[in-house]
Amino acid sequence: MTDPQEVYARWLDALTGIAFVFSVLALALYLTGALTPFVAPQAVVELWRLPVDQYLARAGAPSGWGWLSLVGRGDYLNLAGICLFALISLICCARVIPAFLRRGEPLHAALAAAQVLVLLAAALNLFPGAR
Amino acid sequence: MMRLAFLVAALAGASPAMAAGGAPVPWWVWPLALFAVTFVLGAVAVLAGVGGGVLFVPIVGAFFPFHLDFVRGAGLLLALSGALSAAPALLANGLASLRLAMPAALVGSVTSIVGALIGLALPTGAVYTALGITILAIALLMWRSRKSDHPDVPASDPLAAALRLHGVYHDPATGREVDWKVCRTPAALVAFAGVGLLAGLFGLGAGWANVPVFNLLMGAPLKLSVGTSGLVLSVIDTSAAWIYLHSGAVLPMLVAPSIIGVMLGAKIGVRLLSVAPAAKVRSTVLVLLVFAGGRALLKGLGIWA
Repeated sequence: MTDPQEVYARWLDALTGIAFVFSVLALALYLTGALTPFVAPQAVVELWRLPVDQYLARAGAPSGWGWLSLVGRGDYLNLAGICLFALISLICCARVIPAFLRRGEPLHAALAAAQVLVLLAAALNLFPGAR
Repeated sequence: MMRLAFLVAALAGASPAMAAGGAPVPWWVWPLALFAVTFVLGAVAVLAGVGGGVLFVPIVGAFFPFHLDFVRGAGLLLALSGALSAAPALLANGLASLRLAMPAALVGSVTSIVGALIGLALPTGAVYTALGITILAIALLMWRSRKSDHPDVPASDPLAAALRLHGVYHDPATGREVDWKVCRTPAALVAFAGVGLLAGLFGLGAGWANVPVFNLLMGAPLKLSVGTSGLVLSVIDTSAAWIYLHSGAVLPMLVAPSIIGVMLGAKIGVRLLSVAPAAKVRSTVLVLLVFAGGRALLKGLGIWA
């Protein structure tokens, strides 16, 4: 019976590799101008001194998951790569729930499930106060 | 190493002045500069035994022209990606424990979300002031704290026993199997709640605090504490990072080159680990932290804007 720790390590390794390669390719497409960005790079440089609220208003940039429709643009393709990194822990925690249950460790399965719920709530933008 | 540190500070310090008063800096200079700085920070962080985020936020926040909202968002993702890349090997060879990490990560991830929400709501000056004080306190903690390779834990506490927070790992340095167990779990969970709050508030990562809590409070062996700390950090920072992502405080032009820079730098740092003078690197990092923390504090107080 496979130890959940081994399962977690295997998935973490594979997903981190995928996210890293995706991010390198996306950054190359962005920096070379192969994919037109939604916010022009020079505009980003001029606006990044502002607090995030003012930046979004001036740049006309979306918040929350509003950027998904812009994933074909160079800057938001990079954001997709960043989101891949942020999804890794969620996927790994979800993956070890059945592994813990198979080993007769319901308490650890419950901890992993609770962790998935917290990460999922954060990923789905469910917390009041987040824009 | 000191020259390297001053080079980083000079590069970072010169850039905003150029942008403000001199000829306009082409936009592509910034991602390249960030890549170079984070590459160095990634290597130095490994050599000094700290997370990349704890160096990135005060140094980039104090000397680069980006608003602190964006620096904190980038800091979290930077610390997160560094921890993710190191964790698989540590888990596979038993130098990190998933079972030990899970309760700490759960508590810390909830409070890191609260910290991120508070941090994005507070005035920037107040965050700079609190960041400066926190960084100076971290530097003091790093300077004064003692570590124990194999703390003596007579018996597990009831919560640790219920959560099966014990195990065995193989120490390649000594060739021995090391039995471990932990104690004071409830107090440690309270400490991890505080660590999560600070991580979300300042985008600092959490390795600087996780290791002392595991090692000195719970009595976990030092190597296991360091390995497990990265795993906890990867979950805590993920939770807070989503808040910054949804708030729009993650700029790909800052984050993408920084992540790649710190991950590649960390790989070089690991290779240099056996030959680099660890004590000198650590002293350099302490000087950098005091300087950057002081700068953040003075910036927050409006004395050195």
